[in-house]
Amino acid sequence: MKALIIAENQDAAAEMGAAARGFADEVVALGIGTDLAGVADKSLKVSVPDDRIVEDAWATVCAIADAEQPARVLVEPTTRLSGVAGRLAAHMGAAVITDVLALGPDGATSLYFGGAGERTVAPVGDVALCTVSRGVFDGAGTSGTDAVEEVAFVDPANPVVRVAAEPLEKSDVNLAAADVVVGAGRGFAEEDQLGLARDLAAKIGAEMACTRPLAEGSGWMPTESYIGVSGQMLSPKVYVGIGTSGQMQHMVGVNRAGAIFAVNKDKNAPIFKQCDYGLVGDLNTVLPALSAAL
Amino acid sequence: MQVVAAIKIVPDDQDIQVAADRSLDFSKARPVVSEYDLNALEAAVQLAAATGGSAIAVTAGAASIDDSKTKKNVLARGMEALYLTADDACADMDAYATAQVLAPMVEDLDGWDVVLVGDGSADLYAKQTGAQLAARLNVPYVAGAIALEEDGGSLKVRRKTEDEVEVLSVPLPAVVSVLPEAAAPRIPGMKDILAAGKKPMEAVALAEAPAAALEVVSCKAPVQAERAMEVYDATDDGAVEKFAAALKAAL
Repeated sequence: MKALIIAENQDAAAEMGAAARGFADEVVALGIGTDLAGVADKSLKVSVPDDRIVEDAWATVCAIADAEQPARVLVEPTTRLSGVAGRLAAHMGAAVITDVLALGPDGATSLYFGGAGERTVAPVGDVALCTVSRGVFDGAGTSGTDAVEEVAFVDPANPVVRVAAEPLEKSDVNLAAADVVVGAGRGFAEEDQLGLARDLAAKIGAEMACTRPLAEGSGWMPTESYIGVSGQMLSPKVYVGIGTSGQMQHMVGVNRAGAIFAVNKDKNAPIFKQCDYGLVGDLNTVLPALSAAL
Repeated sequence: MQVVAAIKIVPDDQDIQVAADRSLDFSKARPVVSEYDLNALEAAVQLAAATGGSAIAVTAGAASIDDSKTKKNVLARGMEALYLTADDACADMDAYATAQVLAPMVEDLDGWDVVLVGDGSADLYAKQTGAQLAARLNVPYVAGAIALEEDGGSLKVRRKTEDEVEVLSVPLPAVVSVLPEAAAPRIPGMKDILAAGKKPMEAVALAEAPAAALEVVSCKAPVQAERAMEVYDATDDGAVEKFAAALKAAL
């Protein structure tokens, strides 16, 4: 069986390459705008012109898939490549199984309703296309060719024109590597109050994180710091949720934590049913007292 | 500009029950507009208003999505009309099947310039329907839009990826997926809800049952880790200290 891996980043390609070795006897890697070295038997690269978008590489990618005839396609789930995967799936009469957590003989498993369920699906046709989240497979020890063959980018009909681009400011948060994480939720009514959570985080050597509304609604925290189904999925040693109600969409991102602590003024908040230790109280008074007691 | 919002109506996830065998029970969950599709509706209305055009919504799903409260909720958000295919042949569709149903609904409209979709749906969060729909309609697809404006005959889109913000000139017609920050959903007033009842609601009969590309093998609630659930009241003497001691011990 042949597998095709499509990635924008070497690390993601290494993880998917390692996974593909488990079921495929031939692995082809396709880097979009990047050289993928040491992950596959054959390595292809499509360079997207500066005034074009990655999604519009779909025409080129479909032609490569037609030539290679893979039975499995694994794609890195970036914003841009999700679009390429979707067009490739449409071309193949298939649908992409997204953000898979496990690949087995019966099918691929993803979260359903933000973690309310885990759903395993299988393709009706012969080809399975999956996007694979980072960290699901171990990319260490993958091997493959370092020779990269360039495939020319072909414009689709009516290409999108990339007029300008500005890099996003990279925040220095590295939540995935953090042992201890403090997550702030909607219980913080004012941005100033976040200082109380930061004081606590500093005291216990934690990284600061949040729920989606604090990153995308109010913009108080960087996008990379929100935990949940569409954000970061973490498994720290300790998670402290403050003013987080415990909604499924958030908790699915931390429910693999070693220990879960919760502070909330509402004693009926669902997080108290999902934590190891809870403290019911107003964060304005509780957090300074807690920081002092630590 | 004629703007189409393609939205999904899903069971309200607040009311999903987990049965003893870990299967999911949706019987108490009412149909609602999928959360991030509310942003697509608002972005559609704002783009239509800015360009002197109109916004309409299209959706397809099981017979149960034909719910008067949900339909009014869509129309009360500034939509001029709602085209809805509610048929059990459209229950639990994958993105390939969804595009098969939505594409002819869009093509049959009296002119359209852009289809907006939300970032991801509450059930699958697959972010795939936009790309599949664009493929069926044979038009460009862009995801991650945070701002949209008309620019001559094309659409100027600012969109966010993992590492940059790009300014794009998107030839029309096109399908664009919008991030929540593109437009915050409005809260419809009583007047909007009453007016919604008088707006056109077109039931579109399903011409042909869509072919699924994926079959569900199993769907179960995950096994929850056992948690100690020791909860203290901060006003009780020594509660903060006990909580702090447990936290210290866990570090």
